Amino acid sequence: MRQAFADTMLEVGLADPGLLVLVGDISHGILQPFAKACPGRFFNIGILEPTIVSMAAGISRSGLYPVAHTIAPFLIERSLEQIKLDFCYQHIGGTLISVGSAFDYAALGCSHHCYDDLAIVKGIPNTQVVYPAMPNELNQLFKQTYKNEFLTYFRLPSEKHGFTISDNDLQIGEAIRVREGNHITLVAAGPQLKTALKSIDELLAKGIDAEILYYPTYKPFDGARLLESLNKTKNTIVIEEHSMFGGLSDEVMRHSANGGFKYDFINIPDKFSRGYGSYDDHCNALGFTVTNVVDKAERLIHK
Amino acid sequence: MNNDLRRQIVKIVTAAGEGHIPSSFSIVDILDIIYGKFLKFNPKNPEWPDRDYFVLSKGHAAAGLFAVLHKYGYFSDQILDSYGKYDGILGGHPDRTKAPGAEASTGSLGHGLPFAMGIALGLKVRGKPNRVVTLVGDGECHEGTIWETALVAQNLKLQNLCCIVDYNGSAAQILPHPSIRAQWEAFGWQTLEVNGHNPSEIEDALNVFGQANSAKPTCIIAHTVKGKGVSFMEVHGPWHHKIPNTQEFELIMKELS
Repeated sequence: MRQAFADTMLEVGLADPGLLVLVGDISHGILQPFAKACPGRFFNIGILEPTIVSMAAGISRSGLYPVAHTIAPFLIERSLEQIKLDFCYQHIGGTLISVGSAFDYAALGCSHHCYDDLAIVKGIPNTQVVYPAMPNELNQLFKQTYKNEFLTYFRLPSEKHGFTISDNDLQIGEAIRVREGNHITLVAAGPQLKTALKSIDELLAKGIDAEILYYPTYKPFDGARLLESLNKTKNTIVIEEHSMFGGLSDEVMRHSANGGFKYDFINIPDKFSRGYGSYDDHCNALGFTVTNVVDKAERLIHK
Repeated sequence: MNNDLRRQIVKIVTAAGEGHIPSSFSIVDILDIIYGKFLKFNPKNPEWPDRDYFVLSKGHAAAGLFAVLHKYGYFSDQILDSYGKYDGILGGHPDRTKAPGAEASTGSLGHGLPFAMGIALGLKVRGKPNRVVTLVGDGECHEGTIWETALVAQNLKLQNLCCIVDYNGSAAQILPHPSIRAQWEAFGWQTLEVNGHNPSEIEDALNVFGQANSAKPTCIIAHTVKGKGVSFMEVHGPWHHKIPNTQEFELIMKELS
């Protein structure tokens, strides 16, 4: 997805002289095509993330369209007050794009993990929150948002989900129905759409016909599509590489309260992931697996 | 010394029961010169694209900014007198979405300078000649983002950016800077020192910045007195966020008459 970011910056930067990219000493190699094609609009500022975010807001105030980019915990957790006061409270638009989604930097530990970024940005007024996991999702949703009056946060995962959604179906704030089914709704985000899709055959073998909703936008949240699905299936499992607090799980509950639906969740519990290893090791340890989806679906439907 | 502006500040802060009088007194002479002698602006069109920018980074001195913006025509007597009211547009910190002439909403220290640097970089990228002036407190110079910005602005050669340090001694009460001038110079800024209550010194320093002979950003260290103009307020501590009672109000007004 980092390459997709660089490609989108190049494409939009060539078309729009107002686009300006600031990075915190990452991705400078991969962004060289943008830097060369758009001279004077690429800045590797240094390792001082809060200041990068504040200055991005000032750049927007001067009439340009800034993109600030670095690793998620530094861009969001470290720079929270700058996001809140310099962009959002002042209703100044701009774009933050992170890499290092959830536990992508698997073996680097807590300093480089970030499970609560989507909740943090969602909780601030005047924001939009986007979690694309295929190149065209980033490309289309960035083009729809980078000039508007919101602070838009894009969380870019390392892993793609591999399912192609047509450009025309990608609209900010809209969920995608990836598969129709009748017995349960799998609500998936980011690379975990892949886990949901892989679960289908095993679920069918157990007589469970699952619907899949995919959410590339967390905020604004598409409650209508959720309710349309839950009114049919009555059961749902939310699968997201995010804290149990404040992510898609909470949105699903809030938007479907009092509907008599049954819920289960695969997300990150209220504790630090202290393991090292690989992305897949973390997925296995936290239950982002086909086996877990199928077990939960069976228990939910038969309880 | 601008006693008219000081009286305005005391009047609106006392009526609202909110505000920082000594912090406003410490900067009001500087702001009067910035707007009266240096900045290009149009109060009838605050978003005029060819304007220069002023960002009050030490937002708690908002009453001082508002008194000056009122003097230069940004809003009426009635608006100034509505300072601090629930549905008013002027509060204890500037809100740029409400107050005409406020370029940035500030309050938490260490935000206005990097924000102003972003404006300066944006103007430079767009090839525009507009200048950006910001004012920080010396206590604010404890914040890490001040020195992050100092490093970046010189690296980007932002000669269109001027940071005025209101050096009123607040920092020294807690965590003194061994040499504030040496710090800014070490970070690569053209650094000047003035008496922050002397109009001609302030104007001369701003003109040195405005001539843009240096490829560096400019820092003006303005030596000021917190509470300047009222003898019993020229102290650190008790008056920082205090609202005068009726008797004190009369004494203040008498000294400023």
